[in-house]
Amino acid sequence: MNTRCLILFLAVVLLLSGCEVMLPGIAPRASQNAGVLALLNQAEQEISAGRFQAAGTSLERALRIEPRNPVLWQKLAQIRLEQVEYRQAENLAAKSNALAPDSRRLRAENWRIIGQARQGLGDRDGAQAAFEKARSGK
Amino acid sequence: MFKRLKLRKKPILILALAGVTILALFIIHLDFTVRARFEGKRFRLPAKVYARALELYPEQRLSQADLTKELELLHYREVSHAPQEQGTFRSNGNTLEIMSRPFVFADGSQEPMWLRVDFAGGRVKRMTSESGDSLPLVRLDPPLIGGIYPGNYEDRVLVRLSEVPETVIHALISVEDRRFYSHHGIDPRGLTRAIFKTVSGESVQGGSTLTQQLVKNFFLTPERTLRRKFTEMIMALLLESHYSKEEILETYLNEVYLGQDGNRAVHGFGLAASFFFNKSLSQLGLSEAALLVGMLKGPTYFNPRSHPQRALTRRNLVLERMVAEGFLDEAKLDSAKAEPLDVIDKPPGGTSPYPAFLTLVYRQLKRDYRDEDLRSEGLRIFSTLDPMVQAKAEKALSRGLERLEKLRRLPPGSLQGALIATTPQSAEVQAVVGGRDPQFEGFNRALDARRPIGSLIKPMVYLTALQQPDSYTLATLLEDSPLVVEQSGAADWTPQNYDKQYRGRVPLREALVHSYNVPTVNLGMSLGVSNVMVNLRQFGVEQELPEFASSLLGANALSPLEVTQVYQTIAGGGFFTPLRAIQAVLTPEGEALQRYPLNVEQVAAPAPLYLLTRALQDVVHEGTAEALNRYLSPELDIAGKTGTSDEFRDSWFAGYTGDRLAVVWVGRDDNGSTNLTGASGALTIWGEMMAGLHPEPLILSQPENVEQAWIDPTSGLLSARGCREAVELPFIEGSVPTESAPCGPGSLSSSVKGFFERLFGQ
Repeated sequence: MNTRCLILFLAVVLLLSGCEVMLPGIAPRASQNAGVLALLNQAEQEISAGRFQAAGTSLERALRIEPRNPVLWQKLAQIRLEQVEYRQAENLAAKSNALAPDSRRLRAENWRIIGQARQGLGDRDGAQAAFEKARSGK
Repeated sequence: MFKRLKLRKKPILILALAGVTILALFIIHLDFTVRARFEGKRFRLPAKVYARALELYPEQRLSQADLTKELELLHYREVSHAPQEQGTFRSNGNTLEIMSRPFVFADGSQEPMWLRVDFAGGRVKRMTSESGDSLPLVRLDPPLIGGIYPGNYEDRVLVRLSEVPETVIHALISVEDRRFYSHHGIDPRGLTRAIFKTVSGESVQGGSTLTQQLVKNFFLTPERTLRRKFTEMIMALLLESHYSKEEILETYLNEVYLGQDGNRAVHGFGLAASFFFNKSLSQLGLSEAALLVGMLKGPTYFNPRSHPQRALTRRNLVLERMVAEGFLDEAKLDSAKAEPLDVIDKPPGGTSPYPAFLTLVYRQLKRDYRDEDLRSEGLRIFSTLDPMVQAKAEKALSRGLERLEKLRRLPPGSLQGALIATTPQSAEVQAVVGGRDPQFEGFNRALDARRPIGSLIKPMVYLTALQQPDSYTLATLLEDSPLVVEQSGAADWTPQNYDKQYRGRVPLREALVHSYNVPTVNLGMSLGVSNVMVNLRQFGVEQELPEFASSLLGANALSPLEVTQVYQTIAGGGFFTPLRAIQAVLTPEGEALQRYPLNVEQVAAPAPLYLLTRALQDVVHEGTAEALNRYLSPELDIAGKTGTSDEFRDSWFAGYTGDRLAVVWVGRDDNGSTNLTGASGALTIWGEMMAGLHPEPLILSQPENVEQAWIDPTSGLLSARGCREAVELPFIEGSVPTESAPCGPGSLSSSVKGFFERLFGQ
């Protein structure tokens, strides 16, 4: 790689990372579907109100519309974690992972959920391995 | 003398005391019985089963005709003006305007709302509220699809007294119990008059009050003894002392027997209103109310469907009594009497139109509920049935079987079939067809017919291999030459390919794609039959299956439901989710009793599953299920597998798109030959059904530890793009062949090619 290429590359990287710093709250849109977004929004509200069961039902409704949306599966995993249903949390996060092979951000969060779930199940080594994956972004 | 008198009196006193005690105990016993029965009767309600509630959202693939059909299923009324009343709609060009009904769901209630839905190109284009705001999501009330009735098939629609029109109560009091509001359970004046008239031979009169009639209903036998009459009177008095007139009247209105629909008994005015007029009780007019009340005297004798003249005379008599009691103006009498009976010809289906699906619901419920509770607690059950999918499935199956019989010159009616459709990721059962007559309530082939599954087992064999990437890849060559399997305690077995040919060595992928038997048995034997069966159990088969070499070719019998469960796990990417026919169960008051949440369990790693699925897509692209392309575009990348059992007894197809999975079985009840393969039989029905459902393409997510490589299929070695017959295949990282075929990387031809590529900057 010549120097000009390298400079250009670094410039792009800086620009991109700069964007991220400037707009910290903006995550990729979870869905293009208005119905799914409405249900996701409803689930968020139910989660903040501590109504996890209701939130789970809302997410299942969203999954009927977009069954392969990894964000929805992840949210469901987070809810199960809150409900201390570790086995389900772990499996649902794995499902989200299976549907999102290319999204580092989503995968890292899924591995965090899996780590916490394994911790809850008393599987220390498993949890450690999961947290490691969350960090390495693999 | 005084003493003797005393002595004589004592036993009488004791006797009297004993008598009073016994009577008191008897009354206490009756009191207990009557209260228990009254409370029990008031709430004895069959469970109601609903289909899934239709969710509407912009961009949804749903045509105007589809939504109209759903509204008809919900008994929404089409109107010509802007809809105002709940449960009405207007069709206007590419638009439907709907005034929805309120409904209490497991996760809260839906208020009635006005909405406008615009359609374009078979999709929902836009939804707007009355004020013109755009709506992201609207959930309609779910269609009622059936009930779970008590053992004696009593059905009823519970009504509250406040919903009962005055005319019904007036008619009832005029005819059955004029002094209902003033007596205390029995009516001495009415009784005396009845006895007098009966004795004098003038006419036979009952003289029972409504309360007594209600008490009489508590006994199952219509016995007519003096003792029973006496008990009945005491109970009536007791009932009146515990409950208000309103409570008694309400229970009476819900309890009385008013007709028969096959083996279903019609109880209560609520159900009778829909049974005879297809209306809710509150909508009944004067003459309709009078007809129902008139029928109480003899629901069979005065049945307006079988004896319209009798029923009409009786109704008019009721109307006259109402005038006599002052409930009706003389002036209105003539017009009411002139009205026709207006009874609908066919009662709306009380017995569900979906018996096969309901059986599945019932079996799943029985895991968590006592039979008694299902039949009497008035539970509201939210099922996963999708009426649109069910309708397409029923039609595809019955039409398909007819077509196949004609095509194959089979006697009409000789073929049978079953079909199950589900959602691949959440495992919700959308349709169950148990035979070619979907209304038939008997043998449910979808759940109970266990048949050899033939090649439907093969994905399990190949998955077991692909889970060992060090030994097997899609490019591994399998032995396809004459094979004799020696088994202890059984005759030698010589498996053969469908075309009776041997191909020497075939790539693993092609062996599955073309469903070759010999390589499969070779592969399965080296893997170990029991390892394959372990996978089958992991994927959801609960029953213990015998393990033979022939199990590798699907000699074991499974039901369509069991097959669906296995393919569900494949479609779910190795995540097992128990098939669900129920979403939630609610009490009549709307309290969530139980939810059936979406649970997943990873039973296979994603990478081998991905490889398997790619091969199953090739089954449709180029293999045994190629005929599917006549029904559906190859661009949908559908994954599927055909299955045929020995002597063509069973024809199977299992497959899935991006949004739906279905399994079809075709065979004969007498287990005879159908002359059909999986591809010529079940596949055609599968294709026809799916084509009507506009499936989404199956888009796979390639796992991170999978890479692609170009392979020379004959040698199984590495090749390159552009080489003759080279195919690009997915491999689990580290399992790509390292050796190169003549045209592959590192070979002479490749360096020449590479030279030209570098030259032209490709």
